[in-house]
Amino acid sequence: MPDLLTTLLAGIFLPLFPMSMVFNAILDKVKYNWLRALLFLGWPLVGLLILQNSNPEMPDWVLILALTTSFLYALRMLTLREVNQWSGFLATSLWGLLWLPVIQGVSAELLYWFAISMSIPLVLMVFLSAGLEKRFGAAYTGLYGGLARTIPRYSGVLVTVVVAATATPLFPTFFIMLDMVVETISNKPVAALALLLIWLLWSWAGARLIQGLIVGRASKFKVVDMNINAISFYSIVLIALLASGVYLSGVIL
Amino acid sequence: MERLIIVVAVLPLISALLIQLFAGRIGRGIARLSVVFTTLSFILSCVLLALALMGSEIQTFSLGSSVSVLLFDPLSILLATIILGISLIVHLYSVRYMAEEAAYGQFFVLLDLMTAALLFMVLAGDLITLVISWYLVGIVLYFLLGQDTRSQTAYRFAFWTLITYRIGDIPLILAAALLYNAYDTWSLTVIFDAIMANPDAHQVLGLPLTQVVAGLIGLSAFARSAQFLLHTWLPYTMDGPTPVSALMHAGIVNAGGFLINRFAPVFIHSGDVLNWIFIVGLVTAIFGSLLMLTQNDIKKALGYSTMGQMGFMIMECGVGAFSLAIYHMFAHGIFKGTMFLSAGGVINQARQDDGVPKDELYTFAVEKQPNKASQPWLLMAAVTLAVPLVILIFSHLLISQDYFHKQGAIVLLFFGWVTGAQLIFATYRMRAQNIWRLVGLSILSLLVVVLGYVFISHAFDLFLYPDPEFRAQLYQAATIDILRFDVLVAFVALTVVLGWVITYFGERSGYHRRQKSKRLWLNFYALISREFYVTDIYTRLTRLILSISSRLNVWLRWI
Repeated sequence: MPDLLTTLLAGIFLPLFPMSMVFNAILDKVKYNWLRALLFLGWPLVGLLILQNSNPEMPDWVLILALTTSFLYALRMLTLREVNQWSGFLATSLWGLLWLPVIQGVSAELLYWFAISMSIPLVLMVFLSAGLEKRFGAAYTGLYGGLARTIPRYSGVLVTVVVAATATPLFPTFFIMLDMVVETISNKPVAALALLLIWLLWSWAGARLIQGLIVGRASKFKVVDMNINAISFYSIVLIALLASGVYLSGVIL
Repeated sequence: MERLIIVVAVLPLISALLIQLFAGRIGRGIARLSVVFTTLSFILSCVLLALALMGSEIQTFSLGSSVSVLLFDPLSILLATIILGISLIVHLYSVRYMAEEAAYGQFFVLLDLMTAALLFMVLAGDLITLVISWYLVGIVLYFLLGQDTRSQTAYRFAFWTLITYRIGDIPLILAAALLYNAYDTWSLTVIFDAIMANPDAHQVLGLPLTQVVAGLIGLSAFARSAQFLLHTWLPYTMDGPTPVSALMHAGIVNAGGFLINRFAPVFIHSGDVLNWIFIVGLVTAIFGSLLMLTQNDIKKALGYSTMGQMGFMIMECGVGAFSLAIYHMFAHGIFKGTMFLSAGGVINQARQDDGVPKDELYTFAVEKQPNKASQPWLLMAAVTLAVPLVILIFSHLLISQDYFHKQGAIVLLFFGWVTGAQLIFATYRMRAQNIWRLVGLSILSLLVVVLGYVFISHAFDLFLYPDPEFRAQLYQAATIDILRFDVLVAFVALTVVLGWVITYFGERSGYHRRQKSKRLWLNFYALISREFYVTDIYTRLTRLILSISSRLNVWLRWI
């Protein structure tokens, strides 16, 4: 019984449906960007800490529920229009998959690395979303559109961050996903297929988000584009992520 | 010297990086920078191709780890040279063509990234590099096609491309994972050597691993090369810039043929997977050609034409003529690239003068007026019927029981010739009634096909697959049993004859059909004009998924 309770408690932080709703409900209520960023960074780490300290026996249904949760949120992302919500759902979908390496007995250090690598693009999304809210009053796709013409530098960064968040090569999540597929294909081919399907849904959702925000004619509002310092900051983080992805590939593949 | 292959692959990346960094300072000069880097890379690849032609050994070069290896072999360097040649032409064309575009620098960054991704794809010496570059081609193409960020349509169809490519990534990733689990290495050469040494060493779900992997590779190739049911993205992505269309139709879409060639050692031991690949190619060739004929938009017609050609390319792989598929890829790339790059000029010219001569061909094809003479039709019908019969009789009785069905490529080309010759018959006949010239042309076309096949295919065979035993194994893998072979030939022969009979009677009656057949014809035309409802079905399916997603969000209160 304690094992089950620990698993359920961890299921709040490494989202398992319906406990996954806790994170998204909290994210919805939090209005401070720094707190949102902290939530994105810290939430899965708490789950990993719980599991590491209690080391519970994992029932078989955890894997099924983890994949279902991840799939559910990936599917729901397709029709989200608010950037913060989108990031929250992607986080839920990504972190849910961390159960796979946990079940496979991957080392704690690597698990933390996986979680942080998955979360960093989402933290960047928080700041980008805040930038949109500051400029337009909201961060909804389709509401204003045409960002590529209105604020091209900002759009470039936004697109790159979305690409990084949705497990595109050479960002770390790509290699994590690849590793998960490799590890599951022989023993659990259905799980490997589910992983690839979830991955496909992320790409679909990412493309819909990009299209809703950047495509269209230039906005009539006069807004300031991203300054050089901000671009440098995002570029450094993204390059570091790329480097970390390449390094991770050498470690896990 | 072969180590220069790393420079070939990396130069476009450096160019992209420099443009990104210095676009603000050097302005429109960035295009020249990009052209210089591509030219340099092309020249180096030509030097390396010459080395390969002189018999240089197959080598691998690591970029720092076991999962970033480049392979120097005839296939990789030949395709790298083709890609760079086409990319260079596209670069040169784009310098002025894209000059008015707002995101001029970004276009060249993406073009260079695409060139680099394609180069890494064909030069990949390990599964990880192959998967990464395969994946990135789809991503970069999405942004290239959506170059005009004002156009919702461009992005809509760019998304079709992206999602099809991503669907095509799935089987490749699965195949890579299965191979890694079986052989504990990502190296392509090591895996292929192990497969050649002991092809039946591993099983997956009760099936031989090679068969499963070949099936997955085939699926991946189908998505990339727009095979039927995974083709909708190709004809619709015409809102992208013309140079991108040219690059896509001349280079990117050929990736399926490359992938099948790269995994040739797997396909040798793949059971009847090649037969299925042949059937998919055949269906695509037929549907692509049929849809091409009904288009009234030049670029969309070219799109469907590419689809048909890709069907032929995949068919060639399906009959074991792997190197012929590479030649097809090369020839079609040059041909289609030229057509796309000149499409704008043709449209511009046609706006001033349609240039269509009001000759007999015009009256037949456009005004649907009947023609009088019937003798060449009878001759054509005779040829149509005679050639397949002669092939069958010769193959079974005079040569050997299994010669032709082993050499399926030759049979395929014979049928290609029959169709081509008939086209020349029909087209020429309506321009002039010189029967001897007609026969002369048809014989000439036969010579071109046979000599072309013998010399070019043999040259490519010798270069790409120098081991005669390996070549024989490839053809052997594509063998079908004698009954299926005969049924297939009879079916194709009957279809061709039926087509000509319908055309003959149609022409004689001047297309003044009876009400019933007219309705049937209209229904058929409606079916083709709706492109067999494939896009409609996909659109419905997409809406259904989005509606489920939306309802779930409402039920779960958006958390």
